[in-house]
Amino acid sequence: MEYLGDENNMSHKILKVKGGDPVESCNAMLKELLKSKKIHALLVAQETPTKKISFPVLISDPEKLNADIFAPILPVATASIVSKMTKFEAAKKPIGVVMRPCQIRAFAELVKLNQANPENIIIIGVDCLGTFPVNTYADFPENKSPTKYLIDTFAKKTDDADKYLRSACRVCKDPTPTNADIVVGIYGMDAKKELLIESHTEAGKKLIEGLKLDASKEHDREKAVKSIHEHKTKNHAAFVKEKSSIKGIDALATFYDKCINCHNCMKACPICYCKECLFDSSVFDAEAYKFLRKADSKGLFKMPTDSLLFHLGRMNHMILSCVECGLCEQACPNEIPLMEVLINVADNAQKEFEYNPGKDPKEKIPMIVYRENEFTEVGEK
Amino acid sequence: MKDHKEHKKEKFEPKIVGFLCNWCSYAGADLAGTSRIQYPANVRIIRVMCSGSVDSVYILRALLDGADGVFVGGCHPGDCHYIDGNYKARRRMVLLKNILTTLGMEPERIWVRWISASEGQKFAETMKDMTEAIRKMGPNPIAKQWNI
Repeated sequence: MEYLGDENNMSHKILKVKGGDPVESCNAMLKELLKSKKIHALLVAQETPTKKISFPVLISDPEKLNADIFAPILPVATASIVSKMTKFEAAKKPIGVVMRPCQIRAFAELVKLNQANPENIIIIGVDCLGTFPVNTYADFPENKSPTKYLIDTFAKKTDDADKYLRSACRVCKDPTPTNADIVVGIYGMDAKKELLIESHTEAGKKLIEGLKLDASKEHDREKAVKSIHEHKTKNHAAFVKEKSSIKGIDALATFYDKCINCHNCMKACPICYCKECLFDSSVFDAEAYKFLRKADSKGLFKMPTDSLLFHLGRMNHMILSCVECGLCEQACPNEIPLMEVLINVADNAQKEFEYNPGKDPKEKIPMIVYRENEFTEVGEK
Repeated sequence: MKDHKEHKKEKFEPKIVGFLCNWCSYAGADLAGTSRIQYPANVRIIRVMCSGSVDSVYILRALLDGADGVFVGGCHPGDCHYIDGNYKARRRMVLLKNILTTLGMEPERIWVRWISASEGQKFAETMKDMTEAIRKMGPNPIAKQWNI
């Protein structure tokens, strides 16, 4: 059973899109929200002065707001940013945070890991149409803004934009937000005319009550979401099946061949939160004689050492919480398609523990709980 | 002397790294020793305070550096000196084996067994069984892999 918030606080409204520009209409809505003082600040993607890239900004001055909530780019993990702001103490004033579905899931995991505090964080979830790699976004080839291009292709119901998407987005399991206070719905809507604004919690309901929104009428979102879930699940399963051929030490050594031990994948990952990662420590530095001993036993070995150990070790530490946002892959300087292995491993491991990261905030992380009579085949003959 | 060496060459002697918990399995190994029960010398024992303190990375490091098998010994479920360390170890081992299965990397080289301080005989027998099982599997192919 999917957690979809509290029925009593469900309220569906319609945001009329002016001039066929949903980005500007949403910006106007957020401006109104910020002006209402019901939230003190907003964390939302906004174009930088170079006009090339959109970055999350924490903004409290409504006059300076020029948000692009549909900007198809995820330069950094939004969940990690909220973790930075709230891990020491809860926010004292309400902050609205616009996040993609994968980042909302990652945020839920960080809360479970005691790395973020959800108090006073109001999550505004946006239906995700996918994101482009940072450089594709910055130098977008089609003669229009990437956001506009993506929304146009969505309105035309074509999959032209697929070729630009990050591979993680192409095989995303769930592009609709769960556990958000407010949802901005685009699936099933005519994005150039209207968007769905839905509250799922009491805090969300209070916020949208004051906004100039129309009452909801008949719309196809529910049906569209159902069909998109079906399509995405199938797509994901096919990808997992295709990549399950990466098996065995030879295949893995080939797969991680280009790894230079920079650990960017770990730094970009919203789930990897350790302040001092074992793999960044000097545990793997040693006296020369220890390296020589290893050289003697293997004849030769690649330097720096332990790059496969890093990837396998990282998997063991974070895979159950992996939300498949693909930021690891985006961060890799040598463009190793890390998700091809990770998705497959995540899928199997999460199935083993019947755990769905980010879905249910109340469910505990599998590695901190146990039952007495489980997995009894381990440890017995 | 020469004969002995040749004999060694034809019979593959697996290298096994054993992580034994201080309170049960290590004491069990001790008992096997003081009771003069013979068991294969293939296992290199590392004493840890609890099977729950064995991170998957330790096991992976042993395997990637060429160990033919890794043994993790803990107290019987319910008997952990730290109440639930072995339950947590069990989940961690399930995850590790699941990942290795997905990646086709011989999870059978990892053995987890619960051996109490009074089970010297069980420890010796487990070591015999494991050594023979790993011998049957042959050397760890990763031992020769240098580009990892």
